[in-house]
Amino acid sequence: MESTDTPRPAQLPITPLLPFSAAQISLFAAFIAAIFFVALVYIRNRTIARRGSAILLVGPSDAGKTAILTSLSYAGALPTHTSIQPTITSIRLSPDAPAPIKLIDVPGHPRIRDQFTEYLPDAKAVVFVVDTSTIARNGAAVAEHLHLILHAITSLPPSVTPPALLLLAHKADLLSRPPTSTPSPATLTLATERVRTVLERELEKRRIAASGSVGVEGLGDDGGDEGGAGGQSGLGGLECLGEGGAFSFSRWDGGAVECAGTWVKVARLDLGESGEKGQLSEKEPAEGEDGLEGLRRWLEELS
Amino acid sequence: MLDHCSISHKGSGAVIWSRSFTPAASQLAASPSSPVNSLVREALIEGRTAENKYEKDGYSIKWTFANELDLIFVVAYQRILQLTYIEDLLSAVKALFMKMFQPFLVAFVASLRGVTAEEFTIVQLRDALSGWDKLFDKLLKGIEDKAAQDRKSRLRPATRFELTPSPPLNDDSTTPTQSTAQVNDAQEISRNIEALKSRLKGRPSPGGKRRGKGGKGGLVDSPSGTDTDTGKRKASKSMRKWGDSVPTESDMSELDFSSDRTDVHSSPANVSGLVDSSSLGTRRKDGIYEVKDLNFAGTSDGDEGEDEDDIISRALEASAVGKDAPAAQSTLSSTFGGLFARLTGSKVITTADLEPVLNGMREHLMKKNVAKEIADKVCEGVGENLIGKKVGGFNSIKSEVRTALSNSITRILTPKTSTDLLLSIRTKLATGAASTSLSASKSKRAPYTITFVGVNGVGKSTNLSKVAFWLLQNEFKVLIAACDTFRSGAVEQLRVHVRNLGALVGEGKAGKGAVELYERGYGKDAAGIAKEAIAYAQDTGFDVVLIDTAGRMQDNEPLMRALAKLVSTNNPDKIIFVGEALVGNEAVDQLTKFDRALKDFSASAGKGRGIDGMLITKWDTVDDKVGAALSMTYVTGQPILFVGCGQTYTDLRQLRVAHILQALLKD
Repeated sequence: MESTDTPRPAQLPITPLLPFSAAQISLFAAFIAAIFFVALVYIRNRTIARRGSAILLVGPSDAGKTAILTSLSYAGALPTHTSIQPTITSIRLSPDAPAPIKLIDVPGHPRIRDQFTEYLPDAKAVVFVVDTSTIARNGAAVAEHLHLILHAITSLPPSVTPPALLLLAHKADLLSRPPTSTPSPATLTLATERVRTVLERELEKRRIAASGSVGVEGLGDDGGDEGGAGGQSGLGGLECLGEGGAFSFSRWDGGAVECAGTWVKVARLDLGESGEKGQLSEKEPAEGEDGLEGLRRWLEELS
Repeated sequence: MLDHCSISHKGSGAVIWSRSFTPAASQLAASPSSPVNSLVREALIEGRTAENKYEKDGYSIKWTFANELDLIFVVAYQRILQLTYIEDLLSAVKALFMKMFQPFLVAFVASLRGVTAEEFTIVQLRDALSGWDKLFDKLLKGIEDKAAQDRKSRLRPATRFELTPSPPLNDDSTTPTQSTAQVNDAQEISRNIEALKSRLKGRPSPGGKRRGKGGKGGLVDSPSGTDTDTGKRKASKSMRKWGDSVPTESDMSELDFSSDRTDVHSSPANVSGLVDSSSLGTRRKDGIYEVKDLNFAGTSDGDEGEDEDDIISRALEASAVGKDAPAAQSTLSSTFGGLFARLTGSKVITTADLEPVLNGMREHLMKKNVAKEIADKVCEGVGENLIGKKVGGFNSIKSEVRTALSNSITRILTPKTSTDLLLSIRTKLATGAASTSLSASKSKRAPYTITFVGVNGVGKSTNLSKVAFWLLQNEFKVLIAACDTFRSGAVEQLRVHVRNLGALVGEGKAGKGAVELYERGYGKDAAGIAKEAIAYAQDTGFDVVLIDTAGRMQDNEPLMRALAKLVSTNNPDKIIFVGEALVGNEAVDQLTKFDRALKDFSASAGKGRGIDGMLITKWDTVDDKVGAALSMTYVTGQPILFVGCGQTYTDLRQLRVAHILQALLKD
């Protein structure tokens, strides 16, 4: 080997393939990699079964849904009128909860109650609120609404985890004697039992009617719409596990439905300075106290 | 004087403040049947916000919106009181409330929309509104006082026209009330006499329509009325020329109507309005003038995905053609300003912005065969809900209006009662069977009765047989009662239908006797036949009775009474109004009158029965001009149970709200 005194050949200038500098190329490559990772994460999120994060309050008109929402959000139920649009708030179940949960209250009037289907894919839990004092009278109408909800839950696409369903026997304080005192646990159980039996009976009637009838085709369906399990509007969703006998909440196809009894005390905003506008009887619960324990417990068990 | 006043959030219904002025009103307000609740349920949700007054149960309810914060201000008072200051009170309350509590309200309403994570408590709410009660009291008192003063001041002018007692004649210092100028002209004399007479009598103003508030305004207008009246009379009244004198030259020229003198008498005609220059035809090379071709609008068969924006943009273009260059320069800066405001999310919708869009929407709906009044009301309701709302981001006013309109139409079309006829039938039969199972071995339960009413020629008998076919498919036993005893061939028509239906379902489970006709010929009383038919059905064990009635015009009072008698004697479970899809503005008239007549004339049997549902026929003749569905549901509030779209027994469909909505908004 000869000594390396000979000058090294002149460094040829590195002619780049592209008219960019090295720094620019590396930047570009990093950018592409970032896009790639973002796309990967996004696709991964799409394919994994999504679980919603919101709580949906549904139910017939005058059940007390907005009162429950304001009670949970504002530590006291506001007096309310019939809702027209869904209301969305975020609540913390307990002061040390990690993140606030979204609470959505959907109006119950028959003309606008179908809006809940927009929020259903996002829902982790669906709470069906019923007015216990009038359920004996309008059981059929309430059952129709519940049927819609059950049908919607069973028709969710498989990529979405179906939400858990809770049946809330609300206004249980109207069942207690005298009517304005704090209800005892026995009253709450009475409320849940009443709601459960009435609704199961009505839903069973609907199941029988829906299973055996020939429906009328919908307009503009062009024969492509298979509909549900027969029935006039294609409503199915009432199948039960097991022998498929009478409808029962505990054996429902879409998951067991639980019941709880609750009540809230609606605040009187006009009490202000002149306290003589309203008289509080002695046995009335103090302000700020509400009977939503059943609901809170269930929500905590869920998360 | 007021009973109840409340301020609440429109969307969720949360009451921010309320005040009841009597204990009864406060109890009512706390119950589910409070006046505000009825207002929301029956006026706002049904979309009838065009009229600004709503009455229920002896209460008169007025309201106003504050759309930027989504609030509603409601005042309820007794209907018999005629309070004129309520509108002023509402606007004053709105302005004051918003001014005083703006930041708090913005935060509160944002929390109801889920936008902010701020934590509120109800105690904070009460504290924030602490001074409002006193302010409201002051405001109310102020407005009531002002109204009382206005009333008094309107009463005062009545004393102005009493003739002051004339001063004693011997007193030289007084001047007479009338001028003593020489009056030469006969007209002046007559004018003065008239003026004196009117002052003595206090004559009401001419054109009695300007009665104002309770007629008190009329007296104020009389001095001006007198002057203009006599002035006009002076110009029009001239002495009549009798024919006993020889006509003068001037008279001859005035009376000459021969053709060569027409240029003297005729005024130049305004030719510009007679020809629309854009529709002028073309002149061919050989000088012949050809009319313009009828422009067939480009049919969009394949364009299912055409944007709904197009209709609005086209409407805007059409209305913008009228606004030419003079407006262009001035709008340049305003468009930039508007664009900037919209991007930052603070553009507030005003009436002027909404007008062209709403006009376009109204025209579009009317083109789709929606009745004119209904289109007006729907668009007005949509406009009222949008005025003052903030539109932000990239949403334009068009899209806001479009979403609001589609929501409104969906709400009107969605039924508020159950439309499941099979379930109702089964429920009724089941309860009937349960109650009679102990008494007789053969069940004598009452059948489910459905009555079909409508004007002449809409297709009642045809669609009745379609419904019968469907019920037979569901294994019910159907009895058809021929209560059309007027039209020749009505009974025979039904006989043919029953024969066909019997042949069609003969193989089924129900067997041969599943469908029968009950008829008693022509000329008899329809109510009596219906009663006998129902009794027969009960005895023989039929499940459903379909009653076919004669077609009648809605204005024909004796026939409407006869129909109401049929309804009140037999108390059918469903009264179905049959209407055509082709009907346009007539639908409103037909339905209002039928509904009203049924409710009024059958009210003797207790609560008056109205129409329970509707059946629209001849749907196959309208392809997408489906506006009749919207008009009919708007007028009655009842759902459309079926749609008939052909002449065979299977041409019966159910209405799908989404389909109608798409057909209505499609271009």
